[in-house]
Amino acid sequence: MSTNKRKDIAIIGYGETPVVLRGGRSSYELAAQVMEQILVQTGIDKREIDGLAISETMSETGNPFWGVYMCEMLGLSPSWMQLNGLGGASSIGGIARAAAAIRDGMCETVLVLASDAQSSGKTPEQGAQRHEFMYPVGLKGPVGAFGLLSERYRHQYGLDERALAKLAVTQRNHALMNPNGCEKLRKPLTEEDYLSSKYVSTPIRVLDSVMVCDGANGVLVTSTENARRLGARKMIHPIGYGEISNFNGAARQPDITVSGFSLAGPKALRQAGMRPPDVRMIMPYDDFLIALIITLEDIGFCEKGKGAQFVLDTDLSYRGTLPLNTSGGQISAGQPGLAGGGLNLVEGVRQMFEEAGERQVSDPRNCMVTGIGVIPYGRNWGVSNVMILEQP
Amino acid sequence: MSAANISRPLPRPNAYMDTTPFWRATSEGRLLIQYCVDSGEPQFFPRPISLVTGRRNLEWREASGKGTVYSFTNTLNAWPGHEARVPYLCALVDLEEGVRILCNLYQVKPEDVRIGMAVKLYWERLTDELAYPAFVPA
Repeated sequence: MSTNKRKDIAIIGYGETPVVLRGGRSSYELAAQVMEQILVQTGIDKREIDGLAISETMSETGNPFWGVYMCEMLGLSPSWMQLNGLGGASSIGGIARAAAAIRDGMCETVLVLASDAQSSGKTPEQGAQRHEFMYPVGLKGPVGAFGLLSERYRHQYGLDERALAKLAVTQRNHALMNPNGCEKLRKPLTEEDYLSSKYVSTPIRVLDSVMVCDGANGVLVTSTENARRLGARKMIHPIGYGEISNFNGAARQPDITVSGFSLAGPKALRQAGMRPPDVRMIMPYDDFLIALIITLEDIGFCEKGKGAQFVLDTDLSYRGTLPLNTSGGQISAGQPGLAGGGLNLVEGVRQMFEEAGERQVSDPRNCMVTGIGVIPYGRNWGVSNVMILEQP
Repeated sequence: MSAANISRPLPRPNAYMDTTPFWRATSEGRLLIQYCVDSGEPQFFPRPISLVTGRRNLEWREASGKGTVYSFTNTLNAWPGHEARVPYLCALVDLEEGVRILCNLYQVKPEDVRIGMAVKLYWERLTDELAYPAFVPA
């Protein structure tokens, strides 16, 4: 298999706040907690950070200078700064952009940061066509959009609810071992609990989706060469990446059960020189349980329409053959607003650094992380991206 | 199951582009969709440019109002402003012209909706000036 795998870029540290519901602390303060953790963990001097890739946020997005304000708040003077508005795809998208900037000599050491106090603030208006062609209909936001997607999926392939229940329980069991998970969600869940959970927008149930919380997370990215100079205690490498925005954007009547992962997944795998069975663990973006099934199918873990069977046939627990969202995912640890895309990423890095405590995956040789962002008009989701991380 | 006289968010025309022709036609009971003049391709929702050619050579044409249900969801927990309508059906309808529209379905029970079922245009009058396109079984 042809590959252009490189290991010239390294992730050398990570940080994460607990996920809290209406914590009342600003995105700036949450971000500060993450940066301090990373500096303490890596022992690196703050002055080494000369790049910032920061995710857009719900809580502060009314401020068009949010990224530069964050620099001011944290005392950073980067020679390269990037604000990523890819929703839940922003964190791994930030690593990919940081890698390009480092390779181009714009900076050496980048803090890839996401922070959002969404549950403590007011959700900003997205405008555009929404006031004319969406709001008057009353589709219930992402829940309604995933209702339409799930009903169509069921029509084309059938939808085995036992697979959704298994995903809900697997992730909840992981969240029970995650001290950073949202307290309100840290209680056991059974498959019966899922199957008797109320419908919100059919066939989407309360337990299919996330609870919006507050929180922040981040990773430190530099060149492998610089990581050695800095004396990095641990490092892992991004070896494959694929991304697509506004997938099927010009299609008039696309098949909405097919996502951008059908492009981004194979691209990332090709770059990494891997096939799906080579993936040791996966930390997929989970806004809704059915997104996990579609993600697995479109990346190529199984045939289209066979995702539920794949889930039922595979041990997805931290002890399993394909551990999935071992910190509970956003659905069971809580979604820290638009910082949600970094939650499963940080867990992947933590696992590969072998610092995941009682939920540690054995032989964490590599990890696939995915991102999803934005709900467009009448399709599934706007942004899909996939990153593969590997040990040195 | 008509939504007449129930308060709900009203469309705010002309916010992101000039949609005057669309809304003027709705008040006359005509559903307009955009066409790219150069490629002959329709598009919906209205855009400020052709999604095919990237040119602004666009025109409005009246749709037949005939379509089929592509997917649907029964909304049990309202989008803000729609609380008085619960439960209500939202759907994606494929118009025979080849575009897909997000809309409400009326005059059908949730358990009777089928993907692929034929539907036809139905106008909800929201105010004296504004009517909104919905669909009912054909």
